[in-house]
Amino acid sequence: MAKVSQIDIRDLSYTIEDKQILDGMSLSLAEQRVGVVGRNGSGKSTFARLVAGLVAPTKGTIRVNDLNLAKDRRAAMGEVGILFQNPEHQIIFPTVGEEIAFGLQQQGASKSAATEAMLDILDQFSLSHWKEAYIATLSQGQKHLVTLMSVVAMKPALLVLDEPFAGLDIPTKAQMKRYLNLYEGSLLHITHDPGDLEAYDSIIWIDQGRIQNVGSKEEVFPVYLEAMNRLGEHDDLADLSG
Amino acid sequence: MISLTSPVRTRAHDWPAPFKLFALAVATFVLFLVNDLWLMGAALAVTLGLYALPGAVFFKAGIRRLKVLWPFLVILGVWHLVTATYEEGAQIILRLLAAVGLANLVTMTTALNEMIEVIRWLATPLRRFGLHTRALELAIALVIRILPTLVDNGTRLSDAWRARSRRRPGWRVVVPFTLLALDDADHLAEALRARGGFLE
Repeated sequence: MAKVSQIDIRDLSYTIEDKQILDGMSLSLAEQRVGVVGRNGSGKSTFARLVAGLVAPTKGTIRVNDLNLAKDRRAAMGEVGILFQNPEHQIIFPTVGEEIAFGLQQQGASKSAATEAMLDILDQFSLSHWKEAYIATLSQGQKHLVTLMSVVAMKPALLVLDEPFAGLDIPTKAQMKRYLNLYEGSLLHITHDPGDLEAYDSIIWIDQGRIQNVGSKEEVFPVYLEAMNRLGEHDDLADLSG
Repeated sequence: MISLTSPVRTRAHDWPAPFKLFALAVATFVLFLVNDLWLMGAALAVTLGLYALPGAVFFKAGIRRLKVLWPFLVILGVWHLVTATYEEGAQIILRLLAAVGLANLVTMTTALNEMIEVIRWLATPLRRFGLHTRALELAIALVIRILPTLVDNGTRLSDAWRARSRRRPGWRVVVPFTLLALDDADHLAEALRARGGFLE
């Protein structure tokens, strides 16, 4: 599983009702830890959904480990997992145990095998007492942890994280970070905050639906931060897109 | 997230779901056969007794869930007062309370995936004809999952309204409420797709 995931993107464009979200991206990556930075509305989340195969590109191709995941959903189950920004948008079932076991059964595990793997993952996180817990009674941070466990249990080769730390308090964020650093598969981490990406090898900067810069964090972050701080002094927040 | 869950773990949680559902079917059938006010009252008393068995916390949570019935009870009550069919009215109200009360008990003490298992078993003949029953199983889970979210949405909208208005929110929140529901449906669809959707 420690195999590095290969992401190949060629002429990728994505439009929603004539609105260009991503425009002419090309990229080839094979790194254990990839960060994606950019502003709100730059197309980062759409990029995440495309990589995870949740949506298909309007133009161009995207392949992960040489598979078209938007088409081949069966293969996608083992290749890629995605952690949504808002756990409420990810959790389907009412109890922690059911939520974790669901993905495993979707991967083809029998009911008893899924239950066993579910107990395993809870044990790994030292949270065995959460099995029967109702999601509705959990705090926001705990819900984040449930979504993480549900996806990690499926052991995808590539784990896509869409602003996984948004709205988390400092200790919760530190704990989530620790769990993620231990992950054996590849990570593609989308964030606006370079501080989240200390342990990352390669950084993609997306701006207005295009790749602005790709490189090591030493190459990308100084330019990115400078641009962000410069923009902060202007008031382009008033500009409407589309 | 889900309304019909139990705040405490009861012994009934360990009983097999098909058994509980079958018992519920039999009990409801009998309730409709009985035509005696006193027996009906006794049935309701037994139901309430069952709610009381796991303790006060469970009892309160269960009774709170029965409160949604009150508009129906009022309509029935008014109708039978107007038509002067008092005994019949009392019977129908007691029967309704007992039947819904028992059904609630089953839902409160049965995990969603067990419920889905039963549906899967019931749908076995459909699968013989090559029908895709996984969608049916998941649809039921999703309805149960999304209902409390809809209630939350409604509460949030009316809070947002009241934060900026002295008047009560009226029909004008209906459209945003509908849009929010569609939005939630989108998110849920995506969550399902992210984990395989309807792969069989």
